[in-house]
Amino acid sequence: MLLILAAVSFIYPFIWMVSASLSSESGLGDLTLFPVGFTGSNYVTVFTKIPLDRAFLNSSFVAILTTGLVLVSGAMVGYALAKLDFAGRDWIFYLIIFTMTLPFQITLIPNYITMVRFGWVDTYLALIVPFALNSFSILLFRQAFQSLPQALIDAARMDGANEMRIIFQILIPNILPTVLTITILTFMGLWNEALWPLIVIRDESRMTMPQLVTLFSVGGRAEGQLGVKIAAAVLLAIPIVILYLFFQKHFIRSMASSGLKD
Amino acid sequence: MAEVILRHIAKAYPGGPKVIKDVNIEVKDREFVVLVGPSGCGKSTLLRMIAGLEDITNGDLLIGGQRINDRAPKDRDIAMVFQNYALYPHMTVYDNMAFGLKLRNMASDEIRQRVTNAAKILEIENLLDRKPKDMSGGQRQRVAIGRAIVRNPKVFLFDEPLSNLDAKLRGQTRIELQKLHRDLQATMIYVTHDQIEAMTLGDRIVVLRNGDVLQYDTPLALYNQPANLFVAGFIGSPPMNFLPGRIVNSDKKVSFESTGGLVRIDLSTSIHRTALASYEGREVTLGVRAEHIREQSIGLSRDNYSAEMDTLIDVVEHMGSEILTYFTIEERRFVAKLHGGATVTFDQPIALFWEVNKLHFFDTQTEQAIR
Repeated sequence: MLLILAAVSFIYPFIWMVSASLSSESGLGDLTLFPVGFTGSNYVTVFTKIPLDRAFLNSSFVAILTTGLVLVSGAMVGYALAKLDFAGRDWIFYLIIFTMTLPFQITLIPNYITMVRFGWVDTYLALIVPFALNSFSILLFRQAFQSLPQALIDAARMDGANEMRIIFQILIPNILPTVLTITILTFMGLWNEALWPLIVIRDESRMTMPQLVTLFSVGGRAEGQLGVKIAAAVLLAIPIVILYLFFQKHFIRSMASSGLKD
Repeated sequence: MAEVILRHIAKAYPGGPKVIKDVNIEVKDREFVVLVGPSGCGKSTLLRMIAGLEDITNGDLLIGGQRINDRAPKDRDIAMVFQNYALYPHMTVYDNMAFGLKLRNMASDEIRQRVTNAAKILEIENLLDRKPKDMSGGQRQRVAIGRAIVRNPKVFLFDEPLSNLDAKLRGQTRIELQKLHRDLQATMIYVTHDQIEAMTLGDRIVVLRNGDVLQYDTPLALYNQPANLFVAGFIGSPPMNFLPGRIVNSDKKVSFESTGGLVRIDLSTSIHRTALASYEGREVTLGVRAEHIREQSIGLSRDNYSAEMDTLIDVVEHMGSEILTYFTIEERRFVAKLHGGATVTFDQPIALFWEVNKLHFFDTQTEQAIR
């Protein structure tokens, strides 16, 4: 009974949000689960006022490419930390772990200055490069690689495989749950990121969905229409919801295995 | 020619002691050499150094006359079979066997032919589409060997390949490995901690302890003429019996007297009597194998056997064709391998005879054999 109550309390705000986005402005006061004065005008308004389709493409491009880079870089660094012997290996690992403890806000300004110096402000590079390597993926890859027997790597070396082939053709296929965990969590984090794009992107044609929706909601272009703002928020959530429905099983497993929640 | 030569080979990890110390071994072309020793003796490290999976700190490694210290594993023309098989779990048996050949850009027809031939030799043709998780330990073992065979390498390396199999399968696979060596006519170097495996498989055996080669010889030479106390105790099952004592030379008659004085053996007919005479008064350790202790004197020449020794039987193990009889001398457990028809009973006195010319003597200080 308690579980049902908890589930309802979690799902209710989302259902209300969808319902409200399809309600007329006057019906928003009711906390009903069904649209009051059913209308699709809120969505039409959103698409008319902001280039949400373009933002969707930007977000997809940035999130997919960055997730790919995180997987490649994380696997390579994680492999080196797990399976290669070199001086200072453990210290490098501790340093990487230490960076996990730093809140993003602390590095925000230095990172922004770096972007300015590189001339990357208002480019996709500013959205991709700072996130292309993350300590969390390195940690998970390292742990996963450590659990694999050294003999697997030795056998591949004897067969003539180089380090890249060992990582991507021999080891990665044997840690797919970890790869999926990293993919899901990284993609989610990137998709929902609004603060960093707000700082480094000003050109509307390069804005991501969360940035555009945030600017739309708080920047006055929604003209105070709550229904339109809610519709924009629903559109922002839809891709993640669809992803969740596709990968529901792995999604839950990845959350459980990482011990994290967003 | 695939002769393997290890010349003054040594290995030390940074900041650590030497785990391999000045090893000199020559493995002849097509020879089957076994590296044997207890855990931590360095046998697997030495094998991995030959494979190129561990760096060589000092010395030269030559295969087919060429120094290959600095060559990558793939360029040494060596194949290795690992203890836990190390099959790629996500690949089928065919892909596991073909992987190395694909990386060498071999034509797919040639790959198919090689894999099929190896599968035929190992009788795993029906397993080619399976993945490792769908196979038994014995089948995985065959695939691991198959993966080595398809490469047609100069040298095969085996790192305790039978240790994960049950006793029965281990015995069968031992025989198959011997046959495989005969058929392939390849140089093979095999690591094991099991001295029975070493004795049955090796043309020659290297006994290692703490990174040192203690003896390198044929199985029979190791068994019959162990160079030191360690080899004597390590090779043979049940292990050799040892009794500390000293050499006594009275009235020009050399004899051995145990430390507790309970055992005195006349060595005047021993083939080692001259060498032993020079040890007069010094501490030595007598070694005798279980089968060189007999329970009756009928038919035994008094010249060849020591005087009978009465003892009480502690434990009796009936093995069928033989009886392992355990007894204690001066607080040391001894075992005699008696004929299966012998009448021995627990806690009963028995007269045992020791074959004088089969006795081994070791300098207690240096542990080296006295000959």
